[in-house]
Amino acid sequence: MLDRTKAPAINPVEQIQFVAPERIEVGSFTELLWVKEVDDEAVKIDFIFNAGKLRDSKIVAELSGELLLSGTPEMTSTEFNEAIDLLGGFVNVEVGSEDATVSIYGLTTTIAELIPIVMDAIINADFSQKEFDQQLQTLKQGFLIAQEKVSTIARRAFVERLLGNTDYGRLTQLEDFSSVDRTSLVDFHTAHYLKGLMKICVVGNIEPAIIEELVQRAKYLSAEEEYSFDYPFETKPASVYVKKDGAVQTAIRVGRILFNRTHEDYIAFSVLNTIFGGYFGSRLMSNIREDKGYTYGIGSGVAQFKESGYFFISTEVGKDVADAALAEIKKEMERLATEVIPAEELERVRSYSIGKLLKGSDGPFAMMDRYLAVERFGMDLSHYDEVIQTIRTITPERLQELAKKYLVWEDMIVVKAG
Amino acid sequence: MIHFEKFTLANGLRVLFHNDPNTPMAVVNTLYDVGARDEDPNRTGFAHLFEHLMFGGSVNIPDFDGPLQRAGGESNAFTSNDITNYYDSLPAHNLETALWLESDRMLSLAFTPQSLEVQRSVVIEEFKQRYLNQPYGDVWLEFRPLAYKEHPYQWATIGKNIQHIEEATMEDVKAFFKRFYTPSNAILCIAGNLEPDYVKSAVEKWFGEIPSVQVPKRSLVQEPVQQEYRIKTIERKVPSDAFYYGFKMPGRTEEGYYTADLLSDVLGRGQSSRLFVRLKKELDLVTEINAYVMGSHDTGLLMISGKANEGVELEQIDSEIWRVIEELKVAEISSLEHQKNVNKVRTTKVFSEQGILNKAIALCLHELFGDANGVNLENEQYDQITPKEIWEKANGMLHEKNCSRMFIKAIK
Repeated sequence: MLDRTKAPAINPVEQIQFVAPERIEVGSFTELLWVKEVDDEAVKIDFIFNAGKLRDSKIVAELSGELLLSGTPEMTSTEFNEAIDLLGGFVNVEVGSEDATVSIYGLTTTIAELIPIVMDAIINADFSQKEFDQQLQTLKQGFLIAQEKVSTIARRAFVERLLGNTDYGRLTQLEDFSSVDRTSLVDFHTAHYLKGLMKICVVGNIEPAIIEELVQRAKYLSAEEEYSFDYPFETKPASVYVKKDGAVQTAIRVGRILFNRTHEDYIAFSVLNTIFGGYFGSRLMSNIREDKGYTYGIGSGVAQFKESGYFFISTEVGKDVADAALAEIKKEMERLATEVIPAEELERVRSYSIGKLLKGSDGPFAMMDRYLAVERFGMDLSHYDEVIQTIRTITPERLQELAKKYLVWEDMIVVKAG
Repeated sequence: MIHFEKFTLANGLRVLFHNDPNTPMAVVNTLYDVGARDEDPNRTGFAHLFEHLMFGGSVNIPDFDGPLQRAGGESNAFTSNDITNYYDSLPAHNLETALWLESDRMLSLAFTPQSLEVQRSVVIEEFKQRYLNQPYGDVWLEFRPLAYKEHPYQWATIGKNIQHIEEATMEDVKAFFKRFYTPSNAILCIAGNLEPDYVKSAVEKWFGEIPSVQVPKRSLVQEPVQQEYRIKTIERKVPSDAFYYGFKMPGRTEEGYYTADLLSDVLGRGQSSRLFVRLKKELDLVTEINAYVMGSHDTGLLMISGKANEGVELEQIDSEIWRVIEELKVAEISSLEHQKNVNKVRTTKVFSEQGILNKAIALCLHELFGDANGVNLENEQYDQITPKEIWEKANGMLHEKNCSRMFIKAIK
């Protein structure tokens, strides 16, 4: 008879294979990264431009990205979409703070035809008044809808307090929609797309000739300098409440300026974060969701910038338990500083984290992401060996030290919206 | 092409195995043939609440997630109107941990009152977060009862209202488990770089002794053929007017499903589709417009939805939508327009089947439809559809008497 109370034997993950993409130079500050070990027809190409929201007012960067693939003097936006769709392709533009990414999704059989259509649209984008007006309306509507969400209200108030003295903290305001004009987009395009290509990432089992042609075409767009991301990051602790009539939940954001991957405490702090709020079995989830039932979900994390980063906690809780939830968050923070983490819990987090790393390195798309996550900071894949080593060996004492240093309630910005 | 093997245990559990030599991970996916459509009309939201309880400990193992995390894994689940699906990802060499956990909760749950109390609150917060505290969040709570008068698709997976979740009792929970969580009502898929013989013996070891229970055959009230144009307008404090049209269409395994799917693409998939080009690009009436199918297993809906541009009346949008529809009924679409949509379907399929988790879910779903290999025949199905069939489909289903329309009027 099978003894079901006894768990099957568990073996640790022995090693994780990290494979660097092939690197091909496009220009002095631009390169192409290629992962070709894909076992089906899927191909994804990302063009990463120095066209993030830091580079101008947020709305100019956003609109330029949204309108990048909206027509040229030779081709209307509908003709462009028709051409992409006919090849069964998909395109997407994502504008972040630090950069903007144009993505093409296609198949090995169609990608060679998709590339020139998309690149032509990027190079010759003309931001016609009609497209500009339409997109401005769409963006404005999206903005107004987002303003109705307590999660957006809390995030904006949090970012304003946390990053208000840097360009990362600039927020789009309703007035911006009436003051922006298409000329500023044309200028932005010239400065940040036509001379702003920083990276091309290709995942796909395609012919080298296609890559070669891509490199030739892309030379024209290559970045001509390195860009600065340096700002005076510092946290001024604060407590903010934004009222929203009729809300049945309250959104909570708590956090502080921290650091990114390049900092000596980053890896160790990531382990601490996992324990605190970084996975389903975390302290925050166990207490605030699985014990109290105050929320559908709560989590914490470290958001990274090129030159810094911040720690954050995020949740939406029942309106009447918002203060109780905040008290529990504070309590969990203090417990990590005052009590030693039990061995059983730490072992579980070690295994979970290594498994998570293995999963996050599974497959060609994941491997590209892995590589970019370190390359962005001028590091290489050996960083992950250090991650594995730290996860395996970190002591409860070291984690407690980190909690005392970085998870201090009095150092936090605390925002409630609802 | 997703290769797989299939075998069935003596207790009726259907098992699929997909070997992928290129991944260090394994997936254990368990699909239960139960969804919100199987609920009592006075106890809605139950299938989903139950999904939460499946993580609250089983008969021999007090905690589901802890042991999985210790094995380097993680898990989650989702509930729809049709199915409830659970999945575990973990390093392949620890496969048995997932089989142990997954089989024990199929055997029986711990049924602790604490778990029910807490998950009840969690689900109520989920209800608020996703359906009540978001602009347009309650669309489906309002639209479903308009489109369905008899069939249980008339309520959303989260349930008709919070009261139903508040009223759930432990007796309900136990009865639901007994009725639906049995080996013959489930489909299991294992995926990873594993030996078939090992998979078979490990599955047999952990699932083989779960008693076989005869599941009563599902007999749902089917939705009668719609005979009238159903119109409803609600007022909400939202920034813009919005519109929703639902046309009845064949269920997932019924004749004509794929044709209706392609018809929805012609209408409103992407930025070169007919509705998008006409209403947004040419006439500036909307900021967004889409058409898509819900993919329901029983009689489903082809949806057209979007938001009005500032200062545009919904009535004007309405007549333009119907104009586009009428044009589709006059002449067949060109073979180029048709090929475009078939090509998009093909790319979407390649990307939606990336990774072993997506493959495992797709295999289980198609096995539920009758044959796991159906996943490999979908491209062929789409290839066989002709513009003429799409034209016939448009004429057959895109008319007022087959349509439910809801407007949301924005108020201050």
